[in-house]
Amino acid sequence: MTTHDIVLEWQDGQTEHISVDEDETVLEATRANDLGLPFGCLTGACATCAGRLTVGDLTHQRPPRALKDYQQQQGYALLCIAEPRSDCHIEVGARIQAEMIVTPWK
Amino acid sequence: MSDIEPTADTEVHHHAQTEGPGYATPQAAIEESDPERLAYVMGLYVGTDVDAPDFLSVVDVDPESETYTEVIDRVEMPNRGDELHHFGWNACSSSCHIDELERRHLIIPGQRSSRIHVVDTKNRRDPQIETVIEPEELFEYDLSAPHTVHCIPDGEILISMLGDANGELPGGFLELNDDFEIEGRWDPPGEIEMNYDFWYQPRHNVMVSSEWAAPTTYYPGFDLEDVENGMYGQRLHVWDWAEGNVEQTIDLGEDGLIPLEVRFLHSPEATHGYVGAALSSNIFHFFEADGEWHAENVIDVESREHEDWEMDVPGLVTDLLISMDDRYLFFGNWLHGDVRMYDISDPANPRLADRIWAGGYFGDSHPTGADDREVVGGPQMLQLSLDGERLYWTTSLFSSWDNQFYPKEAEKGSVMLKADVNPRNGTMELDEDFLVDFGDSPHGPARAHEIRWPDGDCTSDVWQ
Ligand code: FES
Repeated sequence: MTTHDIVLEWQDGQTEHISVDEDETVLEATRANDLGLPFGCLTGACATCAGRLTVGDLTHQRPPRALKDYQQQQGYALLCIAEPRSDCHIEVGARIQAEMIVTPWK
Repeated sequence: MSDIEPTADTEVHHHAQTEGPGYATPQAAIEESDPERLAYVMGLYVGTDVDAPDFLSVVDVDPESETYTEVIDRVEMPNRGDELHHFGWNACSSSCHIDELERRHLIIPGQRSSRIHVVDTKNRRDPQIETVIEPEELFEYDLSAPHTVHCIPDGEILISMLGDANGELPGGFLELNDDFEIEGRWDPPGEIEMNYDFWYQPRHNVMVSSEWAAPTTYYPGFDLEDVENGMYGQRLHVWDWAEGNVEQTIDLGEDGLIPLEVRFLHSPEATHGYVGAALSSNIFHFFEADGEWHAENVIDVESREHEDWEMDVPGLVTDLLISMDDRYLFFGNWLHGDVRMYDISDPANPRLADRIWAGGYFGDSHPTGADDREVVGGPQMLQLSLDGERLYWTTSLFSSWDNQFYPKEAEKGSVMLKADVNPRNGTMELDEDFLVDFGDSPHGPARAHEIRWPDGDCTSDVWQ
């Protein structure tokens, strides 16, 4: 089984390194490592688990329905259904989901 | 008579002429009920960095108690990520003729997780999780995102489901039996696309349901582009209650964008109700005339200028409720920050009776006193005492939407506030001694959402 090194970076500066198998989602690996990343539906519908990929390659194991195309192009990924295809750096934490959508009217 | 064993911690009522749960009539609920002593309130951590599950909180609302305004118990859900939102009882006054039923189990769906929890409140102060229906069991019926829970008169439970198994459209309705097992789908699939709240009036064989959007649309947050693309609802569906199919669909038009909470008058004879259109900030009156259902916009909340906003701020009418005597309608403008009270003695012509400002973009951020904690967020889920004299509300709408409009709520948590209502004069006054601070929760600041009373309330009880 191919395994990749994933660096998780929180907004407050905390970083963690974990190994994630290619057939395992990033969220599953963080849960196995007791790293409390946010999540909701676990099926790619809600974006609660959104992270932002800054380095590397992730693939979604099913369509990421909660992401718009432009958000995917900006590097956002749904960690509940994202598997690594290389070593990665991912920005994580609840703020990522909030950043993904512009607040209207303001 | 309820068959909950009377213990010191169990609140029991003896109801004239009824064998089962609840009260024989709305008027009996007003006359026979004691003032509420406990409130059940949804508490949430979903979508934050707090690594803890959402919880059911038991709030002490008895002014005689030493723990008044405190959360005296929390029932943690077994999993994280649920987004507890709306919830309901296994039985209400609609089953007051069924003597083996009791109003004892809370059905608590996870909006994001699609998990349904059943909590036994036999001991009102120390409820326990009884059983959990896992998301995969719902997905098997091609449904997700459970929302409103109503018991239906024969002991079964109906839950509106906002999406299909993928979180896309169409939604539908799931039925549970009185052992809390999935009975199946209540509606023929495809009757509706969008779903949200519903209310039924069995004497008239009618149910009305409303529309939010596909879960994949509203879960991540509110995007104006989705509104422009027609991805939010603006219709009401009128159902044949016995047959479970849609008889009539009413398009509310541009003034009716995102119709959320549906409330019929409590009188089982009434063919009048209201729905709040959140985005267009209107209240619609719906009613039957000449064998058809109609909906008319009866209250408009004007948008207001704000120096920090490029566009005028809409009120964003979220929750509304009707007093048990069908005399008053209350609703919250979540963005503006006011709770309004309307006299609806003439249902087609609501008259503004009073309003209170607390939080929001225009309300007092310290409404209960300058030294008291700041109220972040605006008036949201409401609950009224059965006698109509005490109105309570919380401030969180939906975790991802809160983060857009009130980002500080994630750090500070929600509050629960209360107003004293004078139904005779049609006035309200903020109770400055009442504030429940969910920011103080043990794992970190929590959001607070819907409120229910152990003994029946104004937003769930239905009469046959
Ligand atoms: S948890 Fe909902 S999209 Fe990942």
